[in-house]
Amino acid sequence: MNAAPSPLATLRAMALGYAPRILQGRGWVLAALAIAPVGITLLVFTIMRLKGMEVDPSEPIKVFHEVIVKMMLPIMALVAAPAGIREDLEQRTLPLLLVRPAAVWAYPLGKGLPWVLWGAAWLLLSVLGLQLVGGDPSMLWDRLLAVVGAWWGELALLTLVGLVFKRGTLWGALYFFVWEPFVRIFPPFLQRLTFTHHIESLAGSRAAQVQANQLLAQEQAITHPALALLALFAFGALCWALAGWKLQRTPVGLAGSEAEG
Amino acid sequence: MISLDRASLRYGPILGLSPTTFELPDGGGITGLLGPNGAGKSSLLQLLSGLLPPSGGEVRVFGEAPFRNATVLARLGLVPEGDRLPMGLRADRWLRMMGELSGLLGEALKSAVARALATVGMADRAHLTFARMSKGMRQRIRLAQALLHEPELLILDEPFNGLDPEARLTLIALLRDFAAKGTRILVSSHILGEIAQLTDRILLLFRGRLLAEGTVTEIRQLLDRHPVELRLTGAAQVLARWAVEQPELAALRMEEGAVVISVRSPRDILPRLQKAAAEGGIPLSALDPLDLNLDAVFQYLTKDHA
Repeated sequence: MNAAPSPLATLRAMALGYAPRILQGRGWVLAALAIAPVGITLLVFTIMRLKGMEVDPSEPIKVFHEVIVKMMLPIMALVAAPAGIREDLEQRTLPLLLVRPAAVWAYPLGKGLPWVLWGAAWLLLSVLGLQLVGGDPSMLWDRLLAVVGAWWGELALLTLVGLVFKRGTLWGALYFFVWEPFVRIFPPFLQRLTFTHHIESLAGSRAAQVQANQLLAQEQAITHPALALLALFAFGALCWALAGWKLQRTPVGLAGSEAEG
Repeated sequence: MISLDRASLRYGPILGLSPTTFELPDGGGITGLLGPNGAGKSSLLQLLSGLLPPSGGEVRVFGEAPFRNATVLARLGLVPEGDRLPMGLRADRWLRMMGELSGLLGEALKSAVARALATVGMADRAHLTFARMSKGMRQRIRLAQALLHEPELLILDEPFNGLDPEARLTLIALLRDFAAKGTRILVSSHILGEIAQLTDRILLLFRGRLLAEGTVTEIRQLLDRHPVELRLTGAAQVLARWAVEQPELAALRMEEGAVVISVRSPRDILPRLQKAAAEGGIPLSALDPLDLNLDAVFQYLTKDHA
């Protein structure tokens, strides 16, 4: 009889076993989502320069906050999360994994790791690409850490939501596209319950001063950048752990249904 | 090796398996789990393989509760029903991952994957993705993943579904070989003929209840007590005259151009019927079994038990 694999061996086996999936269709969609805004920005700026037009140096920062952070990051998480452990649940291949003597709680993170790394690599490329056009170079590291931290946290959250709710993608989309935009009118306590707040605390964004036309806008809550980064990674780690706990505790049969145990 | 003590399983309000008690001793051998669709075979196998905990009672495999129990899971292999595999992956790499998840490492892992692939005859096609494999090939890989860690208990849920006759024979030979080497095999099917080719011991399930257990001969005798309806087409009067002389006849009714007889022990009467027709003793032009499906037999057995 073989000894049961350690949690680290389980993580390694799952990550390497499912790594080829990132080089298939969904993986390239993810890459395109990360790179497209930068590619388009670079193209527009190049054309403008060739025509001798003036280029707004703050434009790349707007692309970073308005397109990459608020739109592409959540969409990337919504695309990648269903390819995680949720995929095995839906395709009913999970029982084949559950009858192994491995650490079941490590499966969600193990299967998610290739997606975390793949998505992070493209996001880093994307932020570096934006830097070619403009933006404060002293904030580059902050922006890089912010997107990687947010990607880790958002993918973990959607993996957890996908295991807890049948329509996890829908709940995830509601969170990202209904809850997060309210950050502008949330009081400070609720602002801290958004990814946007932590990304902006790290990478800077809207002015702390509220303008006259922003009737409902609240003052921006301030979190120290190091704490914001810690919050993103800790929240992600918590979500991965909860997803593992949920899988470990939930009886999943051959039909994929939960039995009353 | 396996013991169930009033173990039951519910899926919400639906009862998948009524409180069931039985034991399987240590050592090799094949046990067949027979029952029509919905009888509770998969429920029982899911309890034994640790996928689901019992809703009531107790399940012990190798002396321990199997649900999320690494000690038990390291000693058993499961081949689930259905054609479900991660289609985008290559079989050899996937098997490698499954081996690692079973605690195999390095050379032991490499040789286990090679051995399992050779055993199921897939060594030269394991580089294909599952999407490019035929159903039969995927079934072989499903068997290979269960053999990687050389389990002491091998559980197969409807393994013959969708296999061509040649693949069936190969699988039967493989399972017999494993059993001879000391592996305890539990295999479910809804077809008695399949199980009969494999095993010396049968558990009979119906509507979530364990109806009977015994050898193939004992189960056959039990099933033979159920009257089977046969339609004999030809000169009905002559056929009816022949039928009433048979001791197995339980009932008879006339139809236009045919006679429908209800007989016990059809395996005794059928050779005589064949012989009489061949010798021209009866003008038989067609023979149709009307209720030879397992469901009808189990319905009868349930009434019998009641």
